[in-house]
Amino acid sequence: MKKRSENAKIFDYNTFRDLTPLNCSVGDMLHNKTGSWRFIKPVFEDKIPACQHACPAGSDIEAWIKLMLRGNFEAAYWHLKREQPFPAVLGRTCYKFCQKSCNHNTLYDSSIQINELEKFLGDQVSPVQSHPLLPAYNGKTLAIIGSGPAGMSNAYFARLLGYQVTIFERLPKPGGILRVGIPEYRLEKNILDREFEGLAQMGISIHCNQCIGRDLSLEEISRQYDNVFLATGVHKSLKLELEGEKDSQHISSGLEFLKNLSLGATPDIGKSVIVVGGGNTAIDAARSALRLGAQVTVVYRRTQDQMPAHEHEVQEAIQEGVDFRFLASPEKIRMDPNGRIREIIFGEMELGPEDESGRRRPVKKPGGSFSMPADTLISAIGEMPDFDYLQGIDSACARQILSIAADGQARMASLPCAVFAGGDIVDIPHTVIHAVSAGKRAAIGMDCVNKQLDFETVQRSISIGRGNALSFSKYMGWPCLNPVPQNIHAVAGAEHIVMDYFKNTSASKIEITTGEKRKQDFGPYRQTLSKEMALKEAGRCMHCGRCMECNNCLIFCPDSSVLPRENGQFGYDIDYDYCKGCGICSVECPRGSIVMLDEEASLASQEA
Amino acid sequence: MKQVIKGNHAVSHGVRLSRVQVVSAYPITPQTSVVEELSEMCAKRDLDASFIKVESEHSAMAALLGASTTGVRTFTATSGNGLLYMHEVLHWVAGARLPIVMANVNRAVGGVWNIWADQSDSLAQDSTGWIQIYCESNQEVLDSIIMAFKLAEKILLPVMITYDAFFLSHTSEIVDVPDISTVDDFLPPYRPIVEPNFEQPKMFGGFFAIDYFYEQRYNMHQAAKEALGSYQSICREFQDAFGRKYDILEGYRTEDADTIVVTAGTITSVARLTVDKLRKQGEKIGLMKIRMFRPQPTMMWQQVLGTAQKVIVIDRNLSPGSGGAFANEIQAALYPLSKRPIVFSIIAGLGGRDVTPQDIEGIVQHTRGHKNCPEGPLFWGLKQ
Repeated sequence: MKKRSENAKIFDYNTFRDLTPLNCSVGDMLHNKTGSWRFIKPVFEDKIPACQHACPAGSDIEAWIKLMLRGNFEAAYWHLKREQPFPAVLGRTCYKFCQKSCNHNTLYDSSIQINELEKFLGDQVSPVQSHPLLPAYNGKTLAIIGSGPAGMSNAYFARLLGYQVTIFERLPKPGGILRVGIPEYRLEKNILDREFEGLAQMGISIHCNQCIGRDLSLEEISRQYDNVFLATGVHKSLKLELEGEKDSQHISSGLEFLKNLSLGATPDIGKSVIVVGGGNTAIDAARSALRLGAQVTVVYRRTQDQMPAHEHEVQEAIQEGVDFRFLASPEKIRMDPNGRIREIIFGEMELGPEDESGRRRPVKKPGGSFSMPADTLISAIGEMPDFDYLQGIDSACARQILSIAADGQARMASLPCAVFAGGDIVDIPHTVIHAVSAGKRAAIGMDCVNKQLDFETVQRSISIGRGNALSFSKYMGWPCLNPVPQNIHAVAGAEHIVMDYFKNTSASKIEITTGEKRKQDFGPYRQTLSKEMALKEAGRCMHCGRCMECNNCLIFCPDSSVLPRENGQFGYDIDYDYCKGCGICSVECPRGSIVMLDEEASLASQEA
Repeated sequence: MKQVIKGNHAVSHGVRLSRVQVVSAYPITPQTSVVEELSEMCAKRDLDASFIKVESEHSAMAALLGASTTGVRTFTATSGNGLLYMHEVLHWVAGARLPIVMANVNRAVGGVWNIWADQSDSLAQDSTGWIQIYCESNQEVLDSIIMAFKLAEKILLPVMITYDAFFLSHTSEIVDVPDISTVDDFLPPYRPIVEPNFEQPKMFGGFFAIDYFYEQRYNMHQAAKEALGSYQSICREFQDAFGRKYDILEGYRTEDADTIVVTAGTITSVARLTVDKLRKQGEKIGLMKIRMFRPQPTMMWQQVLGTAQKVIVIDRNLSPGSGGAFANEIQAALYPLSKRPIVFSIIAGLGGRDVTPQDIEGIVQHTRGHKNCPEGPLFWGLKQ
């Protein structure tokens, strides 16, 4: 900050003629250092906006939206990729935790459509090009078991840390749940292929058709690599265990059905299909079966509001014509000798006392039962990890490895290298963004082990807000977009927004094909934002907690002590020689990026 | 271009033509359409000004205090109780020597609610340091606004243009709205003598302790007195540019008059008709229209009125227990003369009551029987 000149003079007023016509001081008032009156001081402090705080991967949403608004989509894309590896995929599959917490949503009931902007950016820029932040190899190697979102994420972040990464995939094509679990209409497979091309471009090698425990052992891998990341997901379906249930091509698990479909098979499911279950797999299976031309009924033992499936997926299924039958559970399958289903007997349920999940447990209603005919029965009542590959390690130990390894802590145990785990095999919500977060956490965790850093300490310094998301940028020391101090632990919630400065703007309307039309094929049905719409949508962002150089602080400062920086530098300087600490700048900052600190406490902390 | 517009609209045009940069105002009947028109002009960018919305007249004037300090041309408009609500800041901006211009629609002051013409509101601000100009027609209103900026920026005191509620504010007349380029030539952009500057910070409106407050007030008084000469030259310049003649006051057929009626505002037009009628009947009667009231043009009043035998001051205002403000001041102004006319103080038209030609004639007739000043004001037209 340029110091203001001090030319304090004492003026001798001898007559009325010495007074200036406009009543202002003759000299300047710089001798009067009013800063000495202050007991609290304003400090510019960018914060974590509520959206970023809610994102399991801690995406720096405000910053990439700001870059979009500057018209630089390329820069926005790469900034977005600082905290997550595949915008085009997450733009289609994310459950938008950011939008639920968006302050515009809290204040005005309509969030910024961050997910649509992410999809737009993902489609604007190709991942298949040289990554601007790609470092040289650091000499360490990493083997990743499983190429789903957690594996991909771990590979991406580990490569950005300099690791030489090899991914082993059991199936003929990479992508895990993204490939074989999420249907084409939610995620086009060519999008996924392009992301893998991008990973290959970064120097990450992928070996498909390599099943650990069959084609090579975990022990062997752990001898060849410095680090191992287990991301094998949950691909083992729970069985219905019904009376009369036999191995039959007409009875399938939801995952198996979706996998076969994704890998190119066209299963013969007949005209009517019953799907048992209430989770996302059940809904995906039901909507896929519908697209194969069948009549589909989803049967769930609890009520609609208790379905673990995502609310809007359920609504879309209903729009497309999927039938639902709640409070019913299959009891018996009657099959004919050819292995065809004759009918399925269901017991009627009612809600009993609460279970450990806090939901009322469904119990069988005495005497109530009914039957339904079906050509195919798809069960999607839950999945679990398949730990067959942890051969030679007893299962309790395996669990322990996973629980510790998932925390970003290495587990040496009985293996010769550092082992980490993440994604659906550990106890986190089964979403793509949580898997991405787990992959990032493990990449940072293994780097800490290799650099002999205390992970707990590192985690404290790079964890975003009060949440669990870690900032990869902060770990790497990449500068924030705003060149002002950022408090990564302070969250700018709705209470930081001065609503007088914002308008209630309504979200851009996204065209969605009608249910009747979209069930005809597996094609995507949500329009991608046009450039104009995207910029308009981005323009709705309030940039919570982040300085936008709106000049409010400068305008409102009664002591002219908020000063613009020289040579067009970003932000402002505060002249503490004269700032009286009135706090008006902080109160009038529309987005809460100025804090008032206790003068003595901040002096003490500086001395300490 | 000639247009048929209301007085309020004439104000808005005057403000537009003066290229005001900051407007801040709070609506009050009968001023509201001034502000409505201005906000529309701002929205359409016919007027490139910031329009600051506020919650009160006090804040409106306070906002202009800040804006004007930064060196921009500022304007507000109000009326009646709104003007009284501004009172504290009126003193402030005058003391800070800020060239703010305001239009005040003269309206009766509540309590007892009344929204019609009465000049008590602006006359109650006579000690604030504001220059006051009283207008008779919509044309005069528009022209006075433009001249007001020139005067205010020259002498560094705020100027208030006042005009009667409804008689002008809501009455349409033919007004010649000048071309903005002509106004630009007459009224160049405002150049403040001190511009706030981060490099050389100064304190504005600071502390004047016992040692120099007194001198500061003396300077204000001198600046106000200077307004007389400045305004006369501005009026001449205005006449050269626009062809319309104004002055500090208007003497009408006063040269040989033994009786002179004194008015301010719209009663003037009525009085002028009556003077013409009585002149035809052979009476030596004239009219003095007050335009500038603060500063007090003492010498000019003495010159115009000093040779008459009778002066009849019609006040559309009342200081209860004292009388009419104009009569009181004129009596004081004439006192130093060795041979002074008798001054009749008439209170008429309070709260918007009509003052007709017959009323003026009646008042003149009434004074015929009196050789000496009656005690206290006469309430003309009182329902008895």
